Amino acid sequence: MADLSTQNSCGIARCAATALLRANGGTTACLQMPPLQSDSSDAGQLGLNAPGFLSLPLSPVVFRKARVAMQDGQLPKYELLVSADAVIAQVSQIQARSAQALFAQACGVVVAGKLYLIEAVSSSETQGEAYLYRLLLQEACGEWPV
Amino acid sequence: MQNAKDTFYITLRSRLATVNPERTMMVRAVSRPGIFVQDAEAPMAQPLLDAFALNWTALAADVQLPAILTQMTCEIQYATAGTQNNAGLDRGRALEEMDYEVLKILYPYASQKMNYTQTPAAAMETMVFWSEPEFGPAVTIRDRLNRTVKVTVYAFQEQAEL
Repeated sequence: MADLSTQNSCGIARCAATALLRANGGTTACLQMPPLQSDSSDAGQLGLNAPGFLSLPLSPVVFRKARVAMQDGQLPKYELLVSADAVIAQVSQIQARSAQALFAQACGVVVAGKLYLIEAVSSSETQGEAYLYRLLLQEACGEWPV
Repeated sequence: MQNAKDTFYITLRSRLATVNPERTMMVRAVSRPGIFVQDAEAPMAQPLLDAFALNWTALAADVQLPAILTQMTCEIQYATAGTQNNAGLDRGRALEEMDYEVLKILYPYASQKMNYTQTPAAAMETMVFWSEPEFGPAVTIRDRLNRTVKVTVYAFQEQAEL
């Protein structure tokens, strides 16, 4: 039988997740987003022009090494736990359709001046509302300062 | 060699816009024809569906000729999961449509070499030409069909490029 009871989210899970992330070494990560003035030129598509990514700060986040089996020649993987409050703020700021669209557009994440590539995104939800996003990251090979 | 690679990509992109104007993609907040050079875009964890990705792989050079003739292999990779309306059950048809588009955009098998480091792009003295496509088998990965097409691209190294 279908459960037709109404369950309105009061946002307590989001507040709790934000507080937990902040209390457990919360830091700031920056999503690398395409610029607002997009480069539609040929040079932009041929790798001639600098992409001019925007840095979109997400805070609080917790950054930690993922427990995955290391393989020879593979760069280490990391996990980034992101507060849904931070994601909601940036989704509304850049007027993205959804959090998934925001992460899909991102070309990477910078944490402590180092670039990481987004391998996968998942979210934890309660009452149909995300309260935490988990990004699986891989260290980028480029050693340039960001 | 880079001018030849750039010319090959821009030629295919322009032809795709004519062959199927509906095949577009959104990359770095720009809507453009559904073809891109893999090494000129950010790395992707999953292949972009319903778009053509160009990968430059093998390279050979014939130095016995008056001008060096370079021979580059371009792998055109594409994947589709069909359409949402058909719940992905049309993925075979979608792949066939992409196969046909590859045939259409590669013909004719030549183009004037251009230098895109200048604005506007300047025509160079020689042509870029390429072989007929060599279609690989369709590979199924869960609900996704993938194919790789190999094309050998030839170009002379001009004095201005040395």
